[in-house]
Amino acid sequence: AYPLGGGRGLCALRPEGDPSVATRAPPQRPGVPGRERSQRKPISSGRGVFANEDGATRTSLPCAGRLFSWSRPSTAFYLFPAAQRSRDMSRKRHRLVPETFGLKRRRELGDVEADPLRGESGSARAAVAEIVRLFPRVLFEDALPPIALRSQVYSLVPDRTVADRQLKALQEQGEIRIVQLGFDLDAQGIMFTEDYKTRVLKACDGRPYAAAVQKFLASVLPACGDLSFQQDQMTQTFGFRDPEITQLVKAGVLTVRDAGSWWLAVPGAGRFIKYFVKGRQTVLSMVRKAKYRELLLSELLGRRAPALVRLGLAYHVHDLIGAQLVDCVSTTSGTLLRLPET
Amino acid sequence: LDGPLLAKVLGLELNKDRDVERIHCSGVNTLDIEPVEGRYMLSGGSDGVIVLYDLENSSRQPYYTCKAVCSVGRSHPDVHKYSVETVQWYPHDTGMFTSSSFDKTLKVWDTNTLQIADVFNFEETVYSHHMSPVATKHCLVAVGTRGHKVQLCDLKSGSCSHILQGHRQEILAVSWSPRYEHILATASADSRAKLWDVRRASGCLITLDQHNGKKSQAAESANTAHNGKVNGLCFTSDGLHLLTVGTDNRMRLWNSSNGENTLVNYGKVYNDSRKGLKFTVSSGCSSEFVFVPYGSTIAVYTIYSGEQITMLKGHYKSVDCCVFQSNFQELYSGSRDCNILAWVPSLCDSVPDDDDE
Repeated sequence: AYPLGGGRGLCALRPEGDPSVATRAPPQRPGVPGRERSQRKPISSGRGVFANEDGATRTSLPCAGRLFSWSRPSTAFYLFPAAQRSRDMSRKRHRLVPETFGLKRRRELGDVEADPLRGESGSARAAVAEIVRLFPRVLFEDALPPIALRSQVYSLVPDRTVADRQLKALQEQGEIRIVQLGFDLDAQGIMFTEDYKTRVLKACDGRPYAAAVQKFLASVLPACGDLSFQQDQMTQTFGFRDPEITQLVKAGVLTVRDAGSWWLAVPGAGRFIKYFVKGRQTVLSMVRKAKYRELLLSELLGRRAPALVRLGLAYHVHDLIGAQLVDCVSTTSGTLLRLPET
Repeated sequence: LDGPLLAKVLGLELNKDRDVERIHCSGVNTLDIEPVEGRYMLSGGSDGVIVLYDLENSSRQPYYTCKAVCSVGRSHPDVHKYSVETVQWYPHDTGMFTSSSFDKTLKVWDTNTLQIADVFNFEETVYSHHMSPVATKHCLVAVGTRGHKVQLCDLKSGSCSHILQGHRQEILAVSWSPRYEHILATASADSRAKLWDVRRASGCLITLDQHNGKKSQAAESANTAHNGKVNGLCFTSDGLHLLTVGTDNRMRLWNSSNGENTLVNYGKVYNDSRKGLKFTVSSGCSSEFVFVPYGSTIAVYTIYSGEQITMLKGHYKSVDCCVFQSNFQELYSGSRDCNILAWVPSLCDSVPDDDDE
């Protein structure tokens, strides 16, 4: 038995199979590859990476950055000050931007790190399509159109004003319908118009109000993209009589807003709203019960969904982030969800 | 000149060199800086006390305390009995100022003698009042009270000349447009914000609708500006847009000529104030900022893009009001912890300013 040289000094000096040796150090675990490599080849810190006698030192920068990016990013900044400086936007702006901006800049850098939920940073339409994919159709036996909430779109599209304007444009083009969900005036549901039409027609098939609903879907929906309808609009412009409007309310397509004014609604959405409200409270309480009232996003998503959360953890987390019911803090271990102070 | 001014507003921070003398023994509800010179500031407190400060730094030292010039204290015979909610300088000179209070009065003061020139009595507590900053043809003061009607009091004749009817609950904020002397905006606890032309005999011009639905007579009654009480109003400095805040934790930007919601989204603007919230906009900068009290901090947003720039932390309790001094780009804020803090832009290192912002 001869001692193994190099970085594996911690390994046993005797062959593995000898049980009589009590003081043997435990065999080194199949190490974290990055760490092992770093022990073998310590990289000089003083001169930084730009001291290049040949091109080789310059090429070591990207792999060195990769080496440290997930394990200890803070030390990366210390060991490679040049790397930090080259990642900044410009040296001039670094001095011009006052301290009050530091908060914003750090947040921007943080967003670039791996975030399991923030895959899309594109348009509102892509965000709605993504949430619609998360919607559990099986749970409602496909009788309900897949609904996304406005707050979920905010969590996927970083700029809220842009998201609002894009949603408004989609609404005007007739691609999506926005519906006021009853439980909270702030929460609005978004669905693709095609999904909505097919599901509503299927739901009212063979019922006495089928004729009124079909007339409504054919004439009013394409013409008026708003969330609500007024009495004079329905009677004069679209020629609906009072009994027909009563049938529409019975069918669940309209809900009363005020005297002579109705919200557009989704028939059968009551069950969805019940699951949603319970699920939202449950996920929020999961964060509240955690120590210091904060939870890593990866940990929250990795937990088993409690029985009350029927729509899926990812669906609810998007909604909580977008509605600002939890604060998103980017840390070196990923995104942290924290309950706000106020 | 845009670059340095912009950097100044972005660089606002609590400055240890500037203090405002602490006179109030209870929360500071309202602040107002006179528009003529920007030198004198009025503050009104929850104990009915009104204090007048001189903001000018006449000493040569960098460390400076804004001293109180005079005050209407508890021993003054005409002091308000209850909390002062709004104070405002007379827009054309500093010889006069007005104050309104929970004791159901609006008092007009002569600054030099600190005596009352006139008193208007109301039936309900007064939440807010405002006088038009650009008015030349009238001297109307709009008063919002716990009653559902907005009252317009005429300073020349000394009586209430007008009543504007239309709201269904208490009026929490009123504001005249800085562009047209006859346009008034009011905000109420019934979730509605209305724009009025005071020369019209019939009702309001526009009721702001957050959903930008179709405009029709029937719809007017159902339109809401917020999903909760609307408790703050501020016109932008050019008067073309109006900002409103509500207890649904939202701030909305409206086009003041047609009442359209511009859909600029500022995110969650925490607001649990049961009375009015006094916020302010910057003026004289290239890009406009709005400063909103947010709990015990002040949140700063760019108006037209909705981006949050920073949160100014310094107060110990909830912030009630803030005003912007446009000559030096300074912000003064008053809070329930009885302090008035000055946020002065820190001087950055002089760097050649050729940024392509």
